[in-house]
Amino acid sequence: MKGQYKAVVIGGSAGSFSVVSRLLSKLDSNFPLPIILSLHRLKHVRSGLVEGISLKSNLKVIEPNDKEKIVAGNVYLAPSNYHMFIEHDGTFSLSTEEPLNHSRPSIDHTLSSAAFFFRAKLVGILLTGANKDGAKGMKDIADKKGYTIVQDPSTCDIDTMPKNALRIMKPNKVSSPDEILSFLNNLA
Amino acid sequence: MIEGIELKQYLHELKKHTAYDFSDYSDNSIHRRILKILKDYDISMEQLIERTKSDSAFVEKVVEEITVNTTELFRDTHIWSAFYEKIYPSIKSKKFINIWHAGCSSGMEVYSNLILLNELGLLDKARVYATDINTRMVTMSKNGQYNYRFNYRYLDDFNSTLAKKPINGISKIDFSKYFDIDEDKDTMTVKAFLRKVPQFIKHDLVQEEVPFFNKFDIVFCRNVLIYFNSKLQSKIFKLFYEQMYPGSFLLLGNHEVLSGFYKTKFIKNGPVFVKNTAFHFKY
Repeated sequence: MKGQYKAVVIGGSAGSFSVVSRLLSKLDSNFPLPIILSLHRLKHVRSGLVEGISLKSNLKVIEPNDKEKIVAGNVYLAPSNYHMFIEHDGTFSLSTEEPLNHSRPSIDHTLSSAAFFFRAKLVGILLTGANKDGAKGMKDIADKKGYTIVQDPSTCDIDTMPKNALRIMKPNKVSSPDEILSFLNNLA
Repeated sequence: MIEGIELKQYLHELKKHTAYDFSDYSDNSIHRRILKILKDYDISMEQLIERTKSDSAFVEKVVEEITVNTTELFRDTHIWSAFYEKIYPSIKSKKFINIWHAGCSSGMEVYSNLILLNELGLLDKARVYATDINTRMVTMSKNGQYNYRFNYRYLDDFNSTLAKKPINGISKIDFSKYFDIDEDKDTMTVKAFLRKVPQFIKHDLVQEEVPFFNKFDIVFCRNVLIYFNSKLQSKIFKLFYEQMYPGSFLLLGNHEVLSGFYKTKFIKNGPVFVKNTAFHFKY
């Protein structure tokens, strides 16, 4: 496993904050890959998410600026009210174009663009949530032979999002948060 | 998916046959916008290229759809608080305050800004130019009419930040002074005394000379440059630098930063970039 992947991208919506917080608090502080997060936010609670996630994280959490270069070992969170993409040169690009699946940031946008850049060297993880965002992005990662993990619906606060993904793609694993954690720690 | 070569060919034909040049827009975003257009119009890349050569009305419509028009009243309240509390008071003794909104979209930030200027008694000093590449947006800006239910909450948002932290003793702006509201039609329309202040001009930041002679105290250009590649961004930073007075203010989107050579020509101060001079503020 070690050295096989270049990045981890995680999508999540309702209920995912506590899962992400827990993952980041238990990951090794020398975790060698960049972690790219696209999480839905409550409308009108636009600030505070990065601080909330940073609180327990062993890794540095950043809301990237447009054209910022991806650096291994950092955690990147899609900024409030922007879509976040990975460009062809490995930098982030941001956009305020229309919401996708009623969401901005949209998980699909981040996941699909990451799939096109990292191809088989990407781990894609989709967590708990209440809509269908992320399903298409996870399928794109799988199509590019990246490694895909969907959170086990029985462990989700709201299982709509993982179930929608499972309807259109077959992930490498369906895992509980603890299993996701041990998978990630094995990459280190 | 569009083949890279087809996209390049389209951008080449657009440049050759029209006044527009999108070849230095960022790859990923132009790719997405074109895909959306192919889907919305149900045409092939080949048909798009053919119609671009001959149908100028179609080209205008496509340009309107390539450009992104997201904006809000008082978007990112902390920025407007900074203008209200610090920046405007620091330049209130100037004879004129020249302001350029580059990429003004539907005009909501233009009017947000004018409301603050009026609250501070500075409206008469304001000379405001607002430009956008999109003709439909320029017209919408001039009309100043917006969907009421969707947009009024942004005014409430600004008032709740004022309520939490009053500025100069003001804890609430009476927005009914600025809008005529028709709940049945679900519209809010900017009152004429504000609408007549700005000059709204159709202008392509990338291709055209600037349509005015004066320099500026404030340039707003929010979430426009994210659609350009680094090379084009640098060109626009240079343009802004040359159009701005020393010590004047450039406001970009929340997650946009200056890069390259012009990074050294501005100092970030709170939410704004200040054109570099001997003269520094602390916010």
